[in-house]
Amino acid sequence: MSKAKNFLTLSRIIDAAPLVIFLGMLIYIGFNAPNFMKFSTMQLVLNQSVPVVVVCLGLSIVVMAGGDGVLSGGIDLSIPATAVLSAGIIAQQLAQADAPLWLAIVLAFAAAAIVGLINGLMVTRIGMTPLLTSLATFVAVVGVSKLVTSSRRINVDDPFIVFLRDGNIFGISAGVFITLILVLMFYFLIHRTKWGINMQAVGGSRDAAEMSGINPSYYQMWAFVLAALTGFLASFFILARGSGSSPGTEDNLMLEMVLATFLGAAFSPRRVVTLWGAVLGAVLVAALSIGFKTMGVNVFWTGLIKGSLILVVVALGALSVKVKA
Amino acid sequence: MSDAILVMKDITKTFPGVLALDKASLSVLPGEIHGLVGENGAGKSTIIKVLAGVYQAQGGSLSVNNTLISSVTPQAIHDAGVRFIHQELHLVPHFSVAESVFMGQELTGPFGLLRKQMRIRSEEFLRKTLDVKIDGNTLIRDLGTAERKLVQIARALIDNQARLVVFDEPTAPLASGEVGKLLAAIRRLKERGIAMIYVSHYLSEITNICDRVTVFRNGQTVAVFNEIKKDSAGALIEAMVGREIKNLYPKNSHSPSSPAIQAKNLGDGKSFHDVSFTLHSGEVVGIAGLIGSGRAELIDTLYGLRQATSGEIWLNNKTIQLSSPADAVTRGMVLVPRDRRHDGLVLGMSVSENVNLGSLKDVSKMGIEMRAMALARAAKQIKDLDIRPPNPSMIARLLSGGNQQKTVLGRWLTTNAKVFLLDEPTVGVDVGAKVEIYQLVETLAQNGAGVLLSSSDPGELIGLCDRILVMMRGRITHEIDTDGLSIDRLVAMTTGATGSSVTRNKSVGAANE
Repeated sequence: MSKAKNFLTLSRIIDAAPLVIFLGMLIYIGFNAPNFMKFSTMQLVLNQSVPVVVVCLGLSIVVMAGGDGVLSGGIDLSIPATAVLSAGIIAQQLAQADAPLWLAIVLAFAAAAIVGLINGLMVTRIGMTPLLTSLATFVAVVGVSKLVTSSRRINVDDPFIVFLRDGNIFGISAGVFITLILVLMFYFLIHRTKWGINMQAVGGSRDAAEMSGINPSYYQMWAFVLAALTGFLASFFILARGSGSSPGTEDNLMLEMVLATFLGAAFSPRRVVTLWGAVLGAVLVAALSIGFKTMGVNVFWTGLIKGSLILVVVALGALSVKVKA
Repeated sequence: MSDAILVMKDITKTFPGVLALDKASLSVLPGEIHGLVGENGAGKSTIIKVLAGVYQAQGGSLSVNNTLISSVTPQAIHDAGVRFIHQELHLVPHFSVAESVFMGQELTGPFGLLRKQMRIRSEEFLRKTLDVKIDGNTLIRDLGTAERKLVQIARALIDNQARLVVFDEPTAPLASGEVGKLLAAIRRLKERGIAMIYVSHYLSEITNICDRVTVFRNGQTVAVFNEIKKDSAGALIEAMVGREIKNLYPKNSHSPSSPAIQAKNLGDGKSFHDVSFTLHSGEVVGIAGLIGSGRAELIDTLYGLRQATSGEIWLNNKTIQLSSPADAVTRGMVLVPRDRRHDGLVLGMSVSENVNLGSLKDVSKMGIEMRAMALARAAKQIKDLDIRPPNPSMIARLLSGGNQQKTVLGRWLTTNAKVFLLDEPTVGVDVGAKVEIYQLVETLAQNGAGVLLSSSDPGELIGLCDRILVMMRGRITHEIDTDGLSIDRLVAMTTGATGSSVTRNKSVGAANE
């Protein structure tokens, strides 16, 4: 209150650093990549970002309910694996088992819910750290989806999936439009309801929440289940983007999800992970990926750059906590 | 006492091996501020936890507003209109004031949270009831400690159902300038007819705002003061401490020589400020102070565990920079930490290994530990200090508290250290071992070491030390010779019952307090 607001303090510089680095890279790409600053490229960026945006919703919920401590706080690395499993199940059911769309969806939904429940139970009942739990489920779930798809690419030409890829609603691409609706729904749940703010309280200070009569485990459990469901939702956009399911999609998706969610904290006025921040972060990360592609940067270099960015963003987050303490 | 709002009668509570409450009673009248005082372990927090429904008492009765509450659960107590302001702040740093005030009791409408209404109502409550202006959109992390405390109070009272509010050490985390703000808010609550229980170690605050006071000692209610005046502190202390003088302490015959360690205007910018003192070789100097007085942080800083932001530390007449405890040990300054189980001992190692941990260089050749030499040294310490059982390969975890403490001391005795920092050396130690540790401290001083003893036991400080530095809210408020110093007077100084003017009473010569 009474503290003088110094404009250029160390903590402010650290808070702003991830954004500055990111915008710097985008500007560099803008000047060097042919056609990057065009409307059609921007549309491509949005279309490409859709699966990342959806899983980022899930990760940011888990982080908000578990706290943003890097080691012991909430994190769920398994969401992309769940998304790929769900995509695999739908593709396999549609293309190989000739099942109707609704059955494929029900099966994928059940699989995702089971992954979420396992994560939640491991963390809230057994007391494992979310990082290790979700790392383990990531590996296990990827294994399951390889079993389901025999580790092969499966093409999907179901009209609903094709509509998500090519259709338009009110002149906006269908995938982007539906994602926007999803974001708004999740925004309302997390930031506008008692349920959502109580969940944020749990992540902000478990003790404070408990003192106020809030049951922390209940919210943490639900966060993992919701996160797995965002994986399920993302699977449709993965199928649409790739016209089917293909193995190995999860690696890049996880990288971009983590990068985007924690980058998003830099957008929030409170400097914490929020839904809007994560969504914006996801779009920026997609822009970066496409930018690198149009510039013709080697894929291996892209991995190195993204990995380093995660390190920088997370390290700056830890540093900013240290500076404020 | 049918008009009392709270009556707790003959409350008994035992923990394994300890009688924490022994038919204790507490009764609070409507609209009064009722002080609850007693030394550490007297049973204050236990009875508060019984009232909160956290602990179940084995005997006694509890009634609120003339209604007997037979099953005391947190929910039943909350429904009866009793609220607790816990000592810890328990707030979410990145939540706004409005969000924090309404945490767990948010206002909702058909379109979700009523953010604007929550903000307006919390601002109004803070302004009208607590007389502070705080913007409801401010984040908790941008508030000062006193304001956070007020937010915590607002959270407990915003539903207007509170009839009795329990404050547990509300001023403990506050700096002295902020205390007034909080006390003013508490007085405002009283004007609104809310009864309060005020638990505090700071007797100056107790005499300042309380109408009546209950004194606890050894789990019993030993006195109830129906009238509290500014000068009631003396009587309160007498009731708290009781009249028991023990002959625990060795005869003190020190001959202080040259300065061993000096602090000059030392501060860490947060927990303590402008601390200056001198500890001579062959002298025992005590540090007294409540929890939160900066005592623990000062010791940590002297040992290099924390960094000072201002002032200097001098060792043997030379200014030094300590960046780590290893630095301190190399210079002959050692610490016996307050939490010996975590910081003092490697619990899984044997007594011998623990004793030799501080002097591995002496018992090793070319980096290899000479087992026989190490065992011999450990055996000597075990004999000198009477560590029981006398078995060098005994695992440290299995020793009693007193013997663990002697093992830590034994480690540093083998290192020829010249300055000993002892932080609460006898907490959780039985009386027999206490006497032995006191004798050891005395021997150290006689052999020319300087000993700085930080302790919350006033008897121990007076019995062992030549001088005592009294710390309060981060500053040394008194420096006093122990000759003729009574426990009552020392307690009065640590609890701020004497005012806070610095009475300097230099080391040598008769005391003239």
